[in-house]
Amino acid sequence: MKKQLAVIILVFAFGFSACNSQQKSKLPILGRTDYIEANGTIDTVYHTIPDYSFVDQDSVEVTPKTFENKVYVADFFFGTCPTICPIMKQQMLRIYGRFQSNPEFGIISHTIDPDHDTVAYLKDYSERLGIMDNKVWHFVTGNKSEIYELGTAAGYMVQVGEDETAEGGYIHSGAFILIDKERRVRGFYDGTVASSVDILMNDIDRLLKEYEDE
Amino acid sequence: MKKQLFLFSLIVGLATSCSDSKKAADNETPSSTLSGFDQKETQYYSNGRRLYKTICQNCHMENGEGLGRLIPPLAKSDFLKNNRADLPRIVKFGLHGPISVNGVEFNQPMPANPKLTDIEVAEILTYVGNTWGNEVGSFTTEEVISSLSEKE
Repeated sequence: MKKQLAVIILVFAFGFSACNSQQKSKLPILGRTDYIEANGTIDTVYHTIPDYSFVDQDSVEVTPKTFENKVYVADFFFGTCPTICPIMKQQMLRIYGRFQSNPEFGIISHTIDPDHDTVAYLKDYSERLGIMDNKVWHFVTGNKSEIYELGTAAGYMVQVGEDETAEGGYIHSGAFILIDKERRVRGFYDGTVASSVDILMNDIDRLLKEYEDE
Repeated sequence: MKKQLFLFSLIVGLATSCSDSKKAADNETPSSTLSGFDQKETQYYSNGRRLYKTICQNCHMENGEGLGRLIPPLAKSDFLKNNRADLPRIVKFGLHGPISVNGVEFNQPMPANPKLTDIEVAEILTYVGNTWGNEVGSFTTEEVISSLSEKE
């Protein structure tokens, strides 16, 4: 009997630790990491999102300063996208619903078709989605080459571009990218898959917790 | 023996408690019209279901709810009920301009699906028209052909 009790306790202990360990470890810092020697010590330099300047659905300029002291989720889309964008937006709405009241959270959705997706169009688009202001979720447009540049290895490290053979004329990754307060990439998630977005929402909690613990 | 069974179930229970078992509720409710379907209609329905998942679902969503005021719902849609004759053309050739569905205005272009065959159009409509509260009955290939040949 004692032996079985021990087994039960062991099983419980294992069960609980398995649940908790996921919460405690820090999220990885992704992208190329450089090590620079300065004054005899080695500094670690992480990949960060470069400076940018776009305009959102309320004609407000959006720069990295907009997301100061916030963790945020980024994605790429275009308004007339006939393939994966609607499902990505449905999933992003889930994230919005869960974190919209948190002042340390934001979302940025970059159009990759700025010729069509003007500020006025993005305003209508976002309102039709049910996003009535730009407090949390910024739908941004701007200079096309700057948008594409930000998608490359120099920025969010995802696939973005024009492709005449693709449906709708553009190719873009369905990724949601999680960025921390230091502009570092902390995770990639498939924005077209609900279970992947579940993991993202869990990771946002973990990332916010990292700052609480500091 | 009983105790071991108890232990086993405990382990299984714990193992599953960690994983996020909250799966999206399957709201896919076939309508009552389905019970009256013959074998051919049922075949259309299940083929249509498969086609819907690959062609339509990304925009109209798994449960036909659409997306905000951007993409119209197919679920419990008055538009499907009131515009039966136009539906084959919309599925195959897409739609441009504003429409009203269940009292809400939508104005997002729907892309054409020119590669769909007549029977595939009938299958998709048989599925969509008899799921999520829609009860418009089945579509035949003949109906699709005559609808597609009509001029706007």
